[in-house]
Amino acid sequence: MPADTPPLIECQNLTRSYTLGTQRMLSRSAERPTVTALDTISISIDRGEVVGLSGPSGSGKSTLLHLIAGLDTPTSGTVTFDGTDLKTLSGRRRTKHRLENVGIVFQHFHLLDALSARGNVALPLVELGIKKRDRRVRAKELLEAVGLGDRITHKPAQLSGGEQQRVAIARALVTNPRLVIADEPTGELDTETGAQVLDRFKSVAEDTAIVLATHDPETLAIADRVISLRDGKLVADTSKSADISESGPRSQTESVSSQSNSVQ
Amino acid sequence: MSRMLAGGRRFIAVWGLVFSQLRHHRFRTLLAIVGIVLAVLTMTLLAGTGYGVLETGESQFESADRDLWVTSGPVALSAASGGFENTLYDAHVVSSEMSEYDGVRNAVPLGFHTVYVSDDGSEFDTIVATGVTGSGSAVSISEGEGFSGGDTHYAGGEYDGPMTHEILIDPQLADRYDVGVGDTLYMGGSLAAAESNEFTIVGISGTFSQFLGTPTATARLSELQTVTGTERVDAATFITITLEDDADPEVVQAALQGDFDEYEIRTNAEQLNAVVQNQALVLAGAVTLVVLAFIAGLALTANLLALIVYQQRETLAAINAMGVSRGTIVSLLAGHGFAIGVLGGIIGAAVTPAAAAALNRVAYELTGFEGLVVVETDVIILGLVVAVVMGTVAASVAGWRVSRLPAIDQL
Repeated sequence: MPADTPPLIECQNLTRSYTLGTQRMLSRSAERPTVTALDTISISIDRGEVVGLSGPSGSGKSTLLHLIAGLDTPTSGTVTFDGTDLKTLSGRRRTKHRLENVGIVFQHFHLLDALSARGNVALPLVELGIKKRDRRVRAKELLEAVGLGDRITHKPAQLSGGEQQRVAIARALVTNPRLVIADEPTGELDTETGAQVLDRFKSVAEDTAIVLATHDPETLAIADRVISLRDGKLVADTSKSADISESGPRSQTESVSSQSNSVQ
Repeated sequence: MSRMLAGGRRFIAVWGLVFSQLRHHRFRTLLAIVGIVLAVLTMTLLAGTGYGVLETGESQFESADRDLWVTSGPVALSAASGGFENTLYDAHVVSSEMSEYDGVRNAVPLGFHTVYVSDDGSEFDTIVATGVTGSGSAVSISEGEGFSGGDTHYAGGEYDGPMTHEILIDPQLADRYDVGVGDTLYMGGSLAAAESNEFTIVGISGTFSQFLGTPTATARLSELQTVTGTERVDAATFITITLEDDADPEVVQAALQGDFDEYEIRTNAEQLNAVVQNQALVLAGAVTLVVLAFIAGLALTANLLALIVYQQRETLAAINAMGVSRGTIVSLLAGHGFAIGVLGGIIGAAVTPAAAAALNRVAYELTGFEGLVVVETDVIILGLVVAVVMGTVAASVAGWRVSRLPAIDQL
């Protein structure tokens, strides 16, 4: 990556707070309690980079993923995608942005059970108005790339968990997105299948930036960089050279905290 | 042009997706269609019943083959006499005078009374008896010879002529007492009067039972008045007038009304309205049924489709998160609603006549009225249209609302 190439994603002082309840029963004027899921996070992600998000439950991984994907908007701060501040886009344009630029792999897959593997993979292409024949060809290519060339007409109920996950990955890649986000992509898979899926993932998405949110060290091992979050704050941002498996999160945090500051 | 092409491809693909989902979720689709069929049936049958209540009343007046109805005061049910109130006095004289008018073929007073009746003089039931004048020529006889001779007991208003003690009964009464032409029944306005008045059955006639919707015996008016104690005032419920074929009802009505201004003279339709207006409960019931039918159909359809959409909210949120637009999602759900509405609507419309026939059979057994549920083609078409339109609109609105939920809240 040339040094003067701007990052694909740039998050500046990203904060996301949620208001709890409405408290109308008590008082309209009463100040509503809020919880801060992300607290002034600043990171950037380059094209083709594989970034792992780690941290315990409630640390803000999913919130950060949603903000990066344009599924949510920050309370303050900015998420810039290839120079465009996502907060300035209308809901319709953010949807279009996701369609054209972002692939999402859901933890629970969310495949349409009425459609075959090929139909599921081709679904985002429907929105783009692509010809049926081209949709089928593209979906078949991707299913073959993730090792499901012989399962294209099978419906989700006829596929194993690992196969469904691979269909979800193929679907996330079908529009040639510049960014793929995946929330616990191996969360429902056994270790061996999870490893196979990750290998496929990385090999298929060569020029695509990938952001993976996970607790799983095996999954984090494929990342070029791991960003650690705790209580909504960034506590570490370490490159692949750091030994993730041998150092605990806290010591890692301490060792790379200066690096994380430099990223900001 | 390319945008139009893309839109066309998207439209076709969305329909493919709709049918894939309907086919895949066969049981859910079947239940949804059954729900719509029930909604259509609720609408068509309730509306048909409401309409039928009014239509039956009108057809009963029409089938009575009378042209004008003469009453004195409001026509209302009477707790005292049973049937209608007998407020028209000197009925024989008035009807005789009216018979003399140009264009009038005959004017016949009718009186309805609740009477006690028994086949053995020991155990009595109450029924409505109808009193008619003359030879009873206005009554259709299905069995037997009918009345013999004229109304001899009236005797010019003296009520001292011989009583013939002849009655006509309807088929239901014949079945109930297992009697026929030539057998006898005891009948009177009080138990004492009934025990001492034995009538011979001279014919079987359904004319008045169809009109009143209840088992009926028909006697000569003067004899009915005597056994019910109303002969002194010569009371009748109304006078019915049959016109000559070439007579104009409105002209005759105007002429009679001019000379008999103490009475109200109405055509069939006017008389039905007068009766129905007095029966506020019947009218309110019929109108309520029609309105309820429409609302019930709408509510059932909307609820059902909203439920189906709500079941799919996570999937819809996922595809929205992937970049599928809200418009496409709403189109997809509108397609669902349209397809289920069309299928349910067609089946509902197709089974409506059979369901109406079954209801009519039950209604006839219970009330004696035939054709109480009248389902017009317009009502069936309305049911079909409501199913399709509401199916589409309800699914679209539910889809629009679901698509507005933040996708991340559903994932």
